[in-house]
Amino acid sequence: MRFARQFAALVAMDLSAVAQRLGPVLTIIIGVTCAVGVLVSMLAMGAGAWRQEMGDVRADRLIVTSLGARGLQSSIPREEAAAIRALPGILGGDDGEPIVVLASLVPIEGRRRVTGTRIFFPLAGTSNNLMQYLPELHVTDGRMFRRGLHELVAGNPCVRQFTGFDTGARRAIRGIDWTIVGHFDQGHVQQCGVYADVDTLMTAFGRNTYSQVLVRLRSPQDLGAFRAALQANPTLHLEARLEGQATEEGFKQLNALLNFASYFIGTIMAIGATLGALNSLYSIVDSRRRELATLRAIGFGPGAIVASMLCVSMVLALPGALLGCLLAWVFFNGMAASPFGYSFQLAVTPALAVLGMGWALAMGLIGGLLPALRAARVPVTTALRAT
Amino acid sequence: MKFLPLIWSGVWRKPGRTILIFLQVSVAFALFGVLQGLKTGVEHLVAAARADVLIVHSRASFLADSLPLGLREQIRSVAGVKVVIPVDIFGATYQKPSEKLGVVAISPDPDWLAAFTFTTAPAYAAALQRTRTGALVRVALAEKYGWKVGDHIPLMSRTAQLNGSTDWAFDVVGTYSDSDVGGGRDTILINFAYLDEARLSGKGTVQHFNVAVYDPRSAVKVADAIDRRFANSSNETETESLQELAQSQVQALGDLNFLIRAIVSAVLVALLFATATMMMQSLRERTPELAVLKTLGFSDRAVFLLILAEAAAVCVAGAACGLALALLAFPFAARFVQGLAMHGIVVAVGLAFGALVALISAAVPAATAARLRVATALAGRGGAV
Repeated sequence: MRFARQFAALVAMDLSAVAQRLGPVLTIIIGVTCAVGVLVSMLAMGAGAWRQEMGDVRADRLIVTSLGARGLQSSIPREEAAAIRALPGILGGDDGEPIVVLASLVPIEGRRRVTGTRIFFPLAGTSNNLMQYLPELHVTDGRMFRRGLHELVAGNPCVRQFTGFDTGARRAIRGIDWTIVGHFDQGHVQQCGVYADVDTLMTAFGRNTYSQVLVRLRSPQDLGAFRAALQANPTLHLEARLEGQATEEGFKQLNALLNFASYFIGTIMAIGATLGALNSLYSIVDSRRRELATLRAIGFGPGAIVASMLCVSMVLALPGALLGCLLAWVFFNGMAASPFGYSFQLAVTPALAVLGMGWALAMGLIGGLLPALRAARVPVTTALRAT
Repeated sequence: MKFLPLIWSGVWRKPGRTILIFLQVSVAFALFGVLQGLKTGVEHLVAAARADVLIVHSRASFLADSLPLGLREQIRSVAGVKVVIPVDIFGATYQKPSEKLGVVAISPDPDWLAAFTFTTAPAYAAALQRTRTGALVRVALAEKYGWKVGDHIPLMSRTAQLNGSTDWAFDVVGTYSDSDVGGGRDTILINFAYLDEARLSGKGTVQHFNVAVYDPRSAVKVADAIDRRFANSSNETETESLQELAQSQVQALGDLNFLIRAIVSAVLVALLFATATMMMQSLRERTPELAVLKTLGFSDRAVFLLILAEAAAVCVAGAACGLALALLAFPFAARFVQGLAMHGIVVAVGLAFGALVALISAAVPAATAARLRVATALAGRGGAV
């Protein structure tokens, strides 16, 4: 009880004296602000990429590729693709046909609207039941492509980022003019994507195999039956992965890189801020030697002094954390980034803010520990005699 | 010179504080060094890429489309073109699915090396010309798998041969190295003629052509002339120099420039504030000592310079230590981009920034110290004007 009363009194006294120690206090706050701000903004890239990749993932969607192949390497012969339609567990569409989308992926290049630099984006040829597989896809203007015609529909991010994607615009691909007939929004996706009719595209590129087959299951529980049937058929050299799993595998490297960079830079900045806090708190303790000795002389315990110093240093770190998160949110939330040619919006989420607070508290705690111990060990008699 | 001991004792007046500031400066400049090093290194790589080697590829898609081999003669007839080499690329694995490597098929015609960034011994190049199934192996790859000249290397791929097999085998006839930014690390060079004859599909097509020009200054004109020749045909081309390609490759990193600048500024602002506060604090504690110096005859200017010199000593030493750490850590950060190196200019700029931080943070305390009035300072009333 006595400890608690002493602790409360010391904390109140320290906080009321903040205004007189503006320099060291501001050093702590600014140091923590910068460290937390940088950490949170860096992590916001990873969070933004994650939100875009995984935000629309559904457990009833499967991606079928040729065995062991990833991305553009995958090639599925027409007869194998046709055999997939007969497998069990597939959801029927409005027309009663199973929702099996045949897709062929071609990376094509666009020019950045502002900088004019080149960037690759996927042109996906799909069969025309795509909308039943992707219910989050909405045509915002114009219409979907028609079967057999050289028509393209482009995502709205394409229009924002690149030139030449307005409705009616023509693009030459393989010596043929393709017309943009519509635009769409697709869930959280901020990456430019373009769809066309799969057979028309494959004819243009002289291909006879699909890249992927997309399957919508009746329910996530049907996965087992579908996979078993797929493996039981010796003529099919295919593998089926859940959309979430396939997406995660595809972006594992990018996510690992973003997270590594975030924590690497965040840690270094946190070390710097902790050192700054340490120095500031030492100087506060030094300038309070007589005061601390007096407190000890009138009966304040060393435990209460240590605890109050730690508490105050953490309390001082908190405004820095709030400010850092706020700055990260103001400057970076929703900002479009496209490192490594992959576009997404940075997302400063509440979880990141909480993480930033945690780091700030840790900086305050570690930075306050040694100065607090020194404060508690101030020799009473010599300190009182000093001028 | 006689001031050195004075500066030294001033620096070590409070060892704990000095060491903490030193560490803080080190940490800040370690980060500065790595980030700025990456940025500068990438810019240098682009500047160093060859502008006189052109790549002719399909306009629709560099990666997924191909061009007919027949375009070769037409490209060669464009004025200023020295040599045209067809290039095709496919992926293969060695022994395990995880051991991936790139197979680059080229025609080792006379002067072919002029159209690439490769270096190899003349004897190896000649051996590749002689041996249909020969392969030149990238030096690093040869070391990785212990391949020697004369070895027979079996590879698995997704590219089918006439007999339906997707297994290929090549005979190592030599090694080569590559100075280009792009391209894979683990690659082998083989004869295009052999690949084109042996493969099942895609016969008579190439992924792109490498073109060397006579005069590097005319590279842009030649590139335009090639693209004009195939405009509105069913094989529209896009011709770019290796430098432009490197540019667009690292452009992907370009969006990070803003972030790097923001981080570096945040680091320096935090550092500046921390050092400035410490200088002020230190000055307040030393007011009587400085007054004594003045009593002994030190001029205002000498006291001003003394304080600046102390700050500069700590900050520049800290910056040097941090940049040394950055040099050590750089290879780890640089492994994402091939051939990236730390440039001396980064270290120089870093040291200059270190001195700048010292000057800015110590300017106000030093000026205060210079204007100190001896009598009031000695009387313990602070003495600041």
